[in-house]
Amino acid sequence: MLARANISWKDIDKVIIVCVLLLVTVGLMAIYSTTNSPIASAAIRHSFAKQIIWFLAGAMIASAVVLTPVKYLKGVAYSLYGVSVVLLILVLFVGGGKGVHRWFILGPVHFQPAEVAKIATLLALARYLSDEARDLRSLKDIGVCFAMVLVPTALILKEPDLGTAIVVSSLLLPVLFWAGLSPFIVFLVVSPILTLLSAFNVYTFGAAMILIIVVLLLSKRKLPVLLAVLVLNVGVGALTPSLWNRLKDYQKTRILTFVGLQQDPRGTGYQVAQSQVAIGSGGFWGKGWARGTQTKLRFLPEQHTDFIFSVVGEELGFWGVTVVLLTFFVLLWRALGIAVSAKNKFLTLMVVGCVTLIGVHVIVNTGMTVGIMPVTGIPLPFLSYGGSSLWTNMTLVGLILNAGLRRFQY
Amino acid sequence: MELSLESKRRLFTGGLALLFLVLLGRFAYVQLLRGEQFLEEANKNRVRVIEVDPPRGLIRDRFGEVLVENSPAYAIYAVPIEIRNAPQAYEIISAALRTTPAELKQQIDRNKRGNFVPVKIGRQVDFAAFSLLNERRLELTGVDFRAESRRTYDHGVKAPHLFGYLSEISDAELSLYGDSYSPGDLIGKKGIERQYESVMRGVKGHRFIEVDALGRVIRDLTEQDGERFRNNPPEPGKDVLLGLDASLQRMLETELTGKNGGAVVLNCKNGDVLALVSKPDFDPELFSRTLTPEIWNRLLNDPNKPLYDRMVQSVYPPGSTFKMITAIAGLETGLINPHETVFCPGYYVFGGRTFECHKKGGHGTVDLLGALEQSCNVYFYRMGFRVGLEHWSDYAERFGFGRPTGIDLGEENAGLLPNAAYLDRRYGKDRWSKGMMLNLAIGQGDLLVTPLQMAAFAMALANEGRSFKPRLRRSILDPFTGAEEVVEPDSVQVKGIQPETWALVRRGMFLVVNGSRGTAVRSRVEGLVSAGKTGTAQNPHGEPHGWFIGFAPFEDPQVAFCVFIENGGSGSGAAAPIARKILSFLVENNKLTPQSETEESAD
Repeated sequence: MLARANISWKDIDKVIIVCVLLLVTVGLMAIYSTTNSPIASAAIRHSFAKQIIWFLAGAMIASAVVLTPVKYLKGVAYSLYGVSVVLLILVLFVGGGKGVHRWFILGPVHFQPAEVAKIATLLALARYLSDEARDLRSLKDIGVCFAMVLVPTALILKEPDLGTAIVVSSLLLPVLFWAGLSPFIVFLVVSPILTLLSAFNVYTFGAAMILIIVVLLLSKRKLPVLLAVLVLNVGVGALTPSLWNRLKDYQKTRILTFVGLQQDPRGTGYQVAQSQVAIGSGGFWGKGWARGTQTKLRFLPEQHTDFIFSVVGEELGFWGVTVVLLTFFVLLWRALGIAVSAKNKFLTLMVVGCVTLIGVHVIVNTGMTVGIMPVTGIPLPFLSYGGSSLWTNMTLVGLILNAGLRRFQY
Repeated sequence: MELSLESKRRLFTGGLALLFLVLLGRFAYVQLLRGEQFLEEANKNRVRVIEVDPPRGLIRDRFGEVLVENSPAYAIYAVPIEIRNAPQAYEIISAALRTTPAELKQQIDRNKRGNFVPVKIGRQVDFAAFSLLNERRLELTGVDFRAESRRTYDHGVKAPHLFGYLSEISDAELSLYGDSYSPGDLIGKKGIERQYESVMRGVKGHRFIEVDALGRVIRDLTEQDGERFRNNPPEPGKDVLLGLDASLQRMLETELTGKNGGAVVLNCKNGDVLALVSKPDFDPELFSRTLTPEIWNRLLNDPNKPLYDRMVQSVYPPGSTFKMITAIAGLETGLINPHETVFCPGYYVFGGRTFECHKKGGHGTVDLLGALEQSCNVYFYRMGFRVGLEHWSDYAERFGFGRPTGIDLGEENAGLLPNAAYLDRRYGKDRWSKGMMLNLAIGQGDLLVTPLQMAAFAMALANEGRSFKPRLRRSILDPFTGAEEVVEPDSVQVKGIQPETWALVRRGMFLVVNGSRGTAVRSRVEGLVSAGKTGTAQNPHGEPHGWFIGFAPFEDPQVAFCVFIENGGSGSGAAAPIARKILSFLVENNKLTPQSETEESAD
């Protein structure tokens, strides 16, 4: 089968594999550390062994993905996308969770359709844009891409799961840009987001408006276009308050706490504060593996899942943090190399999507632990405890390695 | 405008690198720049300082016998969140601690340290209540017991007014004493416990424990966890050795039971209080347990006022025991000639008013010694009027009347010594009659004294003016080294009184006890020569108060005393027999060296 596909195992990217193994190992060490506490609950104490099983299963999934020929990946893209949208709709009605509808609960198995939707959206987008007939100056084609991303994003928001929605929606621009979308259009989309974020404060809003006007003038487009963009931005700014009111209270709290407008000592602000204390108290060398007091005595919340990186920061110190971040960077950099060298446009765009998903997870999650990103509840790839997160990321690695093996195929 | 693949890659890699550098910069800031500060925060999270109370110093008598000691007791703690989930616990605990569930609930809700930090809900709980609760422990989740100590008084000496008691420190005291106390600490509130708080308390120790995020204790920290976590043990308090003679105190406490009144016995050689009994009293143990509102109200509203120390805090007219002052003032000013006689018909008319003598038929012809021996009022009406208010109050002041004696016990009453300025203030200038002096001369009228002042007066007479301040504490004892720090007595001099005057007045007091017509023959003890003076003080509250003050042996006195019986009827009938008990007890137990009676027969 390999011979017929004309690929050589020597071409597989061993650096990426080493990076993933390193990250998973650090993750397992940190998870072990959280189970080491005398006061850990039974569920937490079992998480180390379970994560090893999840990883072994994940490795098999990744291998299967690597072995899957491109035409199957491409072929299954739309139907997978369709299935995931149906599942996302279904989960809103029958899904479980604490006050949310995120999971299908089948006995002991918790299945999160949003995880499938990430990969499905990525594949569908790559397939759609890899078609030679697409013209990225056509409003229709761009519109279809937007819709492809926004439909699952909206459904995930409805669950609600702000973090995953942000991750899925982040796919759009990098992939479109790589596919050839003009930087001006990218700007056109980014500018309202900038406006939205700045609209909470008169001064930041003013600064954003000035920045947008300068960029518009430099772009040398026609006056009506410039005016339309400006009006759009002012409109977004004006609508922000009413959009704000539609957010859930906990979402508001998270955002307010993040921008420092709300004192919230026992809520998400408390989580971030304890996370910073954990990371900061680690210093350069860390307190030593399984010797973090914030971790062991449970001052650090969500320590084996969303805040696993705080455990790394506390116990392994700044050098451990640097090693992990550097490993992630090397992994993503190697993946971009594959994206550039792949001859097949579908594979290229697929890898760019994978890089985007992993990159956004890493930046938002680690940034959260030191208070420069909002607490949105998304896990750190390869390190955080949890089967579905690990399997999704192993699938993404599988896709990247798959593209690396077949980069000479057209 | 289509970018090349290579420039897209550079843009992506560059953007990614920039974002990662920002992240890494933030980590460097948090871990390297502010690392120390966050380490401090992490320690603050997990480390709690636990204060270790030192054992409190004991109270002992002059021979070292322990009177007040520490016994194990239990403090009860409840974890708010757990007890709130077990409402039946309120009922069980409040029944055992003799409070109400509502009060208990309030006590727990008042606490502001969070739902997981144990709150002290009962202290100094004795073994009975502890076992009661321990039996039902399964129903009491979140309830915990810790050992602490409780004051106990198992040696037969109650003396609640002397010992005082300990109680939880008040907010006012907390702000006064600052750092050395914490909320919930016990502090001496009254008596010796308050007076010598700083001596008996000792110094708290500290140890460090590690807690988890819910405030649960994980383990003890030691110096292996860092030099700063080294435990420092408490420094025990020192014992206070009183001048009290426990056996005499016990005897008097028993003897005076059922009476309103008391007795003070002083050592003439240094002012030591050998015994100080005020009745009615109360069981000091009441205050070393959880004092329930019912018991407190019962003590407070008792018409016999057991909470008052009648010897130190209450004032009464001294009656005839004060005649020595009138005599001394007259002799010193030359206004009384000891040989001059006065005829007593049983009454004296002055300014249209009749002043009675206590003997209906009168004492007949009396001189100074006869007037003291028989306590003739008529003699002192006439002599008192002659001496006048100014001289009289001057000499009374030299003996310390109108001022606290300065005994080392708080809340001492100063009494009231009237002088012209006082009477002007009270009745208006020149609105009071000279006849007032007649009453003052026999210890009645506006004059008020404490029994302790009268005991100090007796000691001054015994010592002919070279006297001492009454005191409770004799020395401070370090229970571990055995080192005793003896306190020098405070001498008090009564100045400007001639030896002949002392001799005459003391002779008069000798006759009161030993004379054929003496009023205190009932205080006489075989084999011991003593002297004294009775007093029967009229008062608006009922029967006259009975007084007797005196000292023994007559030559080289060793003890001075004052016996006071509220509404006892008379000094000779109610007080003198108690004085006899004191003296015979001292003689029988070889605590006094009796003197031969040759002195008396020489008279």
